[in-house]
Amino acid sequence: MSVPADVRAEVLEFLHQEAELLDDGRLDDWLGLLTEDVSYAMPIRLTRERGQEPALSVEMQFFQEDLATLRLRVHRLRTDFAWAEDPPSRTRHFVTNVRVAAGPTPDEVDVRCNVLVYRNRGASAAADLISGERRDRLRRVGGAWKLARRVFVPDQATLGVDNLAIFV
Amino acid sequence: MHPTDAVPPDRAAALLDQVRPEEGAVPAFLFSDPEIYRLEMERIFARCWLFVAHESEVPAPGDYVTRAMGEDPVIVARGEDGAIRVMLNVCRHRGMRICRADLGNSSHFRCPYHGFTYKNTGELIGVPFEKELYGGALVKDRMGLLQARVETHAGLVFATFDEGAGTLADYLGPMAWYLDLLAGRAEMEVVGPPHRHELRANWKLPAENFASDAYHTMHTHASIAEIGLTPSATWAKDGYHVAAGNGHGVMIGAPTRRFVFSEALRPVFRRRLAPDQYALLERMAHMPGTVFPNLSFLISAVTLKGQFVSHTELLQWQPKGPDRIDVHTWLLMEKDAPPEERERSRQAFIVTFGPSGMLAQDDSENFTGITQNSRGPVARRLALNYQMGLGANAPVAGVGPGQVLEGKYNEANARGFYRRWLELMRAGA
Repeated sequence: MSVPADVRAEVLEFLHQEAELLDDGRLDDWLGLLTEDVSYAMPIRLTRERGQEPALSVEMQFFQEDLATLRLRVHRLRTDFAWAEDPPSRTRHFVTNVRVAAGPTPDEVDVRCNVLVYRNRGASAAADLISGERRDRLRRVGGAWKLARRVFVPDQATLGVDNLAIFV
Repeated sequence: MHPTDAVPPDRAAALLDQVRPEEGAVPAFLFSDPEIYRLEMERIFARCWLFVAHESEVPAPGDYVTRAMGEDPVIVARGEDGAIRVMLNVCRHRGMRICRADLGNSSHFRCPYHGFTYKNTGELIGVPFEKELYGGALVKDRMGLLQARVETHAGLVFATFDEGAGTLADYLGPMAWYLDLLAGRAEMEVVGPPHRHELRANWKLPAENFASDAYHTMHTHASIAEIGLTPSATWAKDGYHVAAGNGHGVMIGAPTRRFVFSEALRPVFRRRLAPDQYALLERMAHMPGTVFPNLSFLISAVTLKGQFVSHTELLQWQPKGPDRIDVHTWLLMEKDAPPEERERSRQAFIVTFGPSGMLAQDDSENFTGITQNSRGPVARRLALNYQMGLGANAPVAGVGPGQVLEGKYNEANARGFYRRWLELMRAGA
């Protein structure tokens, strides 16, 4: 079911704002965009023969977070010993192909979009590229949109990254 | 020079002479030199017993997973007879990769190139237009998929293509006793597929780290204590450093403040383990280790969301060139653990290990940084220092087999790892 144009515009604004917070390293502000009951997951992609799907594992995932563990991860990055992000990497979240559908309640929308995360670190010109699809649920809480659920489906079965010390 | 030798013997000898584990000296070039890497593929990975899968990954007849032994691709498949076979994933006709999925269930594998068809036992059963094109010349029963020898310990499936290798029990030596604690204390299963990511580092760095390096936890993982997962930065200092034979190393954190495993499964642990094994399980706070060359493991316990929770994992460092690893990380779980404990273990695993893991993240920084540095013409000649604990060897008795040293901070297991590495690398000459 389609959603009104103003809702769609608000969702786009939300996604762009979120990308800005992530890319500017404002992770405490980013946590403020999440609902108290947020679930944040990144399933493992598998290479399977056609007809032997599912090619996605939710039994084991790269991320399977709630607000408490996301806070813990952000807290860690703020310590003096988070070597994987100190010096910090430079990331750019490109968000595109946004599709907004009505959610299960009047205050929720289901949003799918394509995401490309570019991550560069140190003096190397090489960069990590994480491509995938987000399957988000946004909820209107006190007049503002918040992220209630994210499933990031990566396009790689073997992630081309030394680590996932960033958020997708 | 043997026709299969990748490196001229003189050159190999000159490189290997610089590796002096007895003096605690390992040259940096070991972590990026392409000639060393080519020799490792032939002399270590084509000879050793290598971990390929956990039995629970192929529970039913026809189940298969594809894996690598060094850089050789293999299919690990369970036949209708229930036996697990490990076969080179290379068509005997023209060398095409036959199975190109990570996992599945199939009675046979058909090569995409010309349609040569193999049963999941490796037997060649179909060649298109065989009679017309070959007459009787093609001896099909000599053209099955190349079979590795397969043996299992505590559900861990190992394979080798070396006909001359001893048994797996000989190979594991004292390590088998510790693997029972890891993977044989109850009926265990892997949870879902392994995490996979490509780490730009040499495979030996994480392998020796899990075998030997408890010292790094204090500084590399200081953030973990700061956010409250562990009680202090020195949480991994007390316990034992165990040389478990043939280059294998294991470390036991002890004593623990409380039992780290499922209370509900205590009777199972007691029944399945020998009394001395169970005694150590009760005292254990954590247990990292490495089965030479590239299977590491960890029993870990942290406080997450106010609850004390442990998990058991396997980590395999699949080499993909001198400076690249296809890292596989599996969560291993007691099949009969209560559901809420399974859920907590899974979350603790994901939060601490796998590519997003808060401990694994910072480990990766060290492994990639050392690998990069080891390419420099000056840095590559540096003898890196592995002297900790040299000459202070007073083994303690009554803990377990192997040479057990008091205190986890030591580099004896790394020296043992490179001593074994050197023996194998020289044995091919």
